[in-house]
Amino acid sequence: MILVNKETKVIVQGATGKMGATHTKLMLNYGTNIVAGVTPGKHGETVHGVPVYDTVKTAVKATGATASVIFVPPYLTYDAASEALNAGIKLLVVITEGIPPLDTVKMVQEVKANQAYLIGPNCPGIITPEQCLIGILPGSIFKAGPVGMVSKSGTLTYEIALALTEANLGQSTCIGVGGDPIKGMDYEEVLTLFEKDPATKAMVLIGEIGGNAEEEAALFIKAKIKKPVVAFIAGQTAPPGKRMGHAGAIVSGNKGTAESKIEALTAAGVKVAHTPAQVASYVGQVLTPVAR
Amino acid sequence: MNLYEYEAKQIFANYDIAVPPSIRITKAEEINTQLAQAISQSKLSFPVTLKCQVLSGGRGKAGGIKFAKDMDEAETLAKDLLKLKINDLPTQSLLIEPKMAIAKELYLAVTLDRNHGCAIFIASAEGGVEIESSHNVVTSRIPYPYHAYIARDLAAALNLQGNLLVKVADIANKLYKLFVAMDLDLAEINPLVINGAGEVIALDGKVIANDDALGRQPYFAGWLENHLDGLSSREQKSKMTGLNLVELSGNIGILCNGAGLTMATMDMVKEFGGQPANFLDAGGGADQKKTLAALEIVQENPDVKVILLNILGGITACDEVARALVEFIDKHPKRQIVVRLRGNNQQLAEEILAKRNVKLFPGLEDAVKEAIKCAV
Repeated sequence: MILVNKETKVIVQGATGKMGATHTKLMLNYGTNIVAGVTPGKHGETVHGVPVYDTVKTAVKATGATASVIFVPPYLTYDAASEALNAGIKLLVVITEGIPPLDTVKMVQEVKANQAYLIGPNCPGIITPEQCLIGILPGSIFKAGPVGMVSKSGTLTYEIALALTEANLGQSTCIGVGGDPIKGMDYEEVLTLFEKDPATKAMVLIGEIGGNAEEEAALFIKAKIKKPVVAFIAGQTAPPGKRMGHAGAIVSGNKGTAESKIEALTAAGVKVAHTPAQVASYVGQVLTPVAR
Repeated sequence: MNLYEYEAKQIFANYDIAVPPSIRITKAEEINTQLAQAISQSKLSFPVTLKCQVLSGGRGKAGGIKFAKDMDEAETLAKDLLKLKINDLPTQSLLIEPKMAIAKELYLAVTLDRNHGCAIFIASAEGGVEIESSHNVVTSRIPYPYHAYIARDLAAALNLQGNLLVKVADIANKLYKLFVAMDLDLAEINPLVINGAGEVIALDGKVIANDDALGRQPYFAGWLENHLDGLSSREQKSKMTGLNLVELSGNIGILCNGAGLTMATMDMVKEFGGQPANFLDAGGGADQKKTLAALEIVQENPDVKVILLNILGGITACDEVARALVEFIDKHPKRQIVVRLRGNNQQLAEEILAKRNVKLFPGLEDAVKEAIKCAV
């Protein structure tokens, strides 16, 4: 497992909003160690028993939290992220979609300068099954096991996790890096962590059209990753020039096509599945019986 | 959001980037009034350039840029140009400027580059042609915080010197400034012209505003609905109601929750021999109202023979979807719908749907195969 476990102390920025409150409850039900909520002006309130503070600094001082999940509207997210970094938070999970990319550019640079991790934006979050869920992933679909998952998608990740869980191929940690063109952690960073993680025996990479992250990941896998990788790429039927939901999911000219990604990954020795069910089938094949 | 050339130039002018004097007409008759007036006031002089204002590139090749030496020629050309479609997009108006004596043409742009993860300058001493076919292109990462020297380095990289270097660097500074201030995806000047008198002028302008940032840009308030050329009328309608619809040419309508899942579902339909009619992401947490609106948009497409609904509930409540389905079925009893619904409140959803005799497929592949059967 990587980055988060049952000890990880989490604050929820935007805890008193609709999304924040709903998911605070779901995360608590899952067993995540949520120690505080932060909403400016709501000091003293509680959200499902979690104390709310005005600022991240006071919340961190009171609780020693090291991670934050951000459920804040798009034009306020950069400020919320900066605040968290400034208060010493080392893992930011930004769920929010629709953040102006020029804000994300600054956010990513500040994360790097603070030697912290950013997951997202526009992502479902991170889950170490049976230990810690930070974000909006449906906990019941996942189970603990040897497969590390990294994905640009939300519900497609759940679809594939479902196939894996039903095939009794549990997950070590699953990270949704999100669907924005400019983002925090990308495939290479996550794969590196999985490669070093003793609990992870195989990896699943879920990609989609747009940009060249999968192609870069393919080169990286060839050079640096020894554990087996299975991939799935969405968007073979996407027409060029159209944004397919995610801000980053767009084929520009002939760049960022699903074909290019599938080709690059295959050339790197990655098994690329055609359906979510096939992902589970390939993972079953690459895992030795001992590892299950 | 793509902007027209005249809108890009207005923004450039707001930031002190020199643009040619101009008038803009929407009817050919305005040549006799507006152009005549501009000529008599010495605002413009013949020969003039008439340019189709259209949300597409490739105007020159498509005959959308013409020169006129006098009023008669201008009027004749105006009539034809206003009716011209370029890459299937209509001409909204004509921008009329004096024809410029060009000593040198450069290319200059600021754009957000996802591979670099930041804004970049793109520049070339070979302006006036498509940048993709240019040979000497300089790309320069723009660090944060920005400093004016970055633009001077860029101008030097184009082999400019002295006064010209300073002038072009100044334009680059201003271009970056407006790019950031207005949350743009692209600000491009092609060509950036040095005229006979040594002045540096933006002869063409292309601006793309970032869609997600429009809500915090008062300048663009209310613009989006008039800048959706290139989208079908259903795509335009859905964009204005916050749904992501992309139309294709097949007959299996698709509605899912989540962009990746929607793309994967479309791919699976194709994989098993069917033809998706559209991409439509209902988004996470879609409620009864939004789901119903999405179903209606899919079914409005006359090519659609069956609707495939694939909802894997994360934050989406399956019972809300079920209620929307029931409403939809009651309105359109003849519509074939194949449903795969799994997740939060699934049991409740199943109870609601049992009353309408809707066939539920717990497995995605089974649902896809059934939809393909129905579409034959």
